[in-house]
Amino acid sequence: MIYGKMWLVVKPSVGVPLIIAAVAVASFSVHLAILNNTTWVKAFLNGNADKVAVSAPAAAK
Amino acid sequence: MSDHKVWPTGLTEAESEELHRHIVQGTQFFGMIAAFAHLLAYIYSPWLK
Repeated sequence: MIYGKMWLVVKPSVGVPLIIAAVAVASFSVHLAILNNTTWVKAFLNGNADKVAVSAPAAAK
Repeated sequence: MSDHKVWPTGLTEAESEELHRHIVQGTQFFGMIAAFAHLLAYIYSPWLK
């Protein structure tokens, strides 16, 4: 298997948690960025997405 | 012969390949669940609509 020998030089006790942590951090930051840079995610999580999305601009004025 | 050589990480080539198979399999499993979750998000949320 490609890269199957990497664990001969990378200690699994270091490499495996590092990969898992990297995926977790990357995934979390992408979702956080979407949450903070769009309006509809917050509206959707609050419920009544249509109502909130329509009334939010009016409330901001 | 070389199969029994223990490398600095304490693994042999066979052990390294076995561990890697499990990691790749785990990645594929995670990826499939993530893809399914994104499909559900696409269907049931206002995402991309």
